[in-house]
Amino acid sequence: MVGYDGEEGVALLAVRNVRKLFGDDTQHDVALDGIDLEVAQGEFVCLLGPSGCGKSTLLNILAGFEGATSGAVDFEGAPVRGAGKDRVMFFQDAGAALLPWLTVEENVRFALRVRKLPKAEWPAIIDKYLTMVDLAEHRHKFPAQLSGGMRQRLQIARALAVEPKVLLMDEPFGALDALTRRRMHAFLLDIWQRTRTTIVFVTHDIAEAVTLADRICVMSPGPGSRITEVMRVDLARPRDLADPRAGQLFKRVEALFA
Amino acid sequence: MRATLLFAGSLVIALAAWQFLSSFVFNPFLIPPPLVVLQTAAPMAKSGEIFRHVAISLARVGVGFVTGCAAAIVLGVLLGRIQLVNELLDPIIELLRFLSPTAMIPIAVIWFGIGETSKYFLIFWGTFFIVLINTTAGVMRAPIIRQRAAQCLGASALQIFLMVVIPSAAPYIVTGMRIAMASSFMSIIPAEILAADSGIGFLLQQSSVLLQTNRIFVALLTICVLGFVFDRLFRIAVDRMLSRYMSYVALT
Repeated sequence: MVGYDGEEGVALLAVRNVRKLFGDDTQHDVALDGIDLEVAQGEFVCLLGPSGCGKSTLLNILAGFEGATSGAVDFEGAPVRGAGKDRVMFFQDAGAALLPWLTVEENVRFALRVRKLPKAEWPAIIDKYLTMVDLAEHRHKFPAQLSGGMRQRLQIARALAVEPKVLLMDEPFGALDALTRRRMHAFLLDIWQRTRTTIVFVTHDIAEAVTLADRICVMSPGPGSRITEVMRVDLARPRDLADPRAGQLFKRVEALFA
Repeated sequence: MRATLLFAGSLVIALAAWQFLSSFVFNPFLIPPPLVVLQTAAPMAKSGEIFRHVAISLARVGVGFVTGCAAAIVLGVLLGRIQLVNELLDPIIELLRFLSPTAMIPIAVIWFGIGETSKYFLIFWGTFFIVLINTTAGVMRAPIIRQRAAQCLGASALQIFLMVVIPSAAPYIVTGMRIAMASSFMSIIPAEILAADSGIGFLLQQSSVLLQTNRIFVALLTICVLGFVFDRLFRIAVDRMLSRYMSYVALT
């Protein structure tokens, strides 16, 4: 096994020939059929595919919530065993993911508490991340009192507070309206550029993938899904879909699903 | 303000209907009119008779309800959290829960006599299954996303259980307790009618034997007021202490 040495360009997350079957030996569905994927430190990777192609299953395997039926998933050169705070999952349904009986501030404090940081450091960290996601003046509100976009920003703050190495995002903005979603894209890119946290982002929205990703991994429709095409996006951010080069890329990806 | 007025209006209409039924439809013996009931209640209150019965019934409900809730919450959490326990016990619970406290009175009297223990047992019995089923449901429905989110922040299994699962189940548990409390106030009566020498149910039974419809009405009204007051107190306590766990239910 090759040890992870943290160098630029060396895979932080390596997935080799991962298969995932649901069901038992006699009756099963093949969800993933041979996934290979490498994610470098600091990279923004989008997994793009139609509904039911197993994107979320793959993300759950990366997070350690589920095991692969066969194949290997290595993080920093060591096999992934269970969930850990170096790989934080970010959910679409913030209402379910957050602790609704805690205020904005207390939700971040929960993360610090389970991270076992000394209490003296909490206020400064809470301030830092709530300011970063622009929720500092809403710190005493409960999640139910926030808009959908604000809830997602709180979820980002809570995730960042444990300083994860990878942020796994499962169609995070899929439930937001188009305008809020655009704002969240700009916001996420800003955070990503500031923290250089590696991001694996699942989506079925081609425009979203083209706007955000360093690399788009296109997954074939399930069952038995695999990554059929990997496209590097060498366009400066912020990107404009009206830019002909972005438009071309969009059409190329779109053609794969035609 | 509006709610208070409507509440008062509702009482006025009920009193008028009561008086009407008493005077014109039936007769004042079958349905003693409001004033007669009040005149009957006054000396019973003054002598403390009514309060003695109330205190005894309340103590029975209190002991049975608290122990029933405690046992049901502990077992309900296990049932909701441990698949094997659930699969082993669920079929039995699904059968036993149809035995109402009233159905258990005859055997309870044989087991525990007509003293306090049999009443505690019957209220315990009624409370237990209602709270158990609600607790189990609440624990099982603690959103998996919420648990996973806590897990990847680094929470241990114990932290997830105490800080995520139990608070998520709180609205279910509290709802179960509220239903169980109402049911306790209902089941204490047959228990006392059939096997007791004190309590509101005993007062009902004794008055019935003596054909004292006015005293029966005093007892019936007392039950209404008791149930209502304790339900309100329960709601106020929950609002005071647990509102942050209750108010978000619409969100998830």
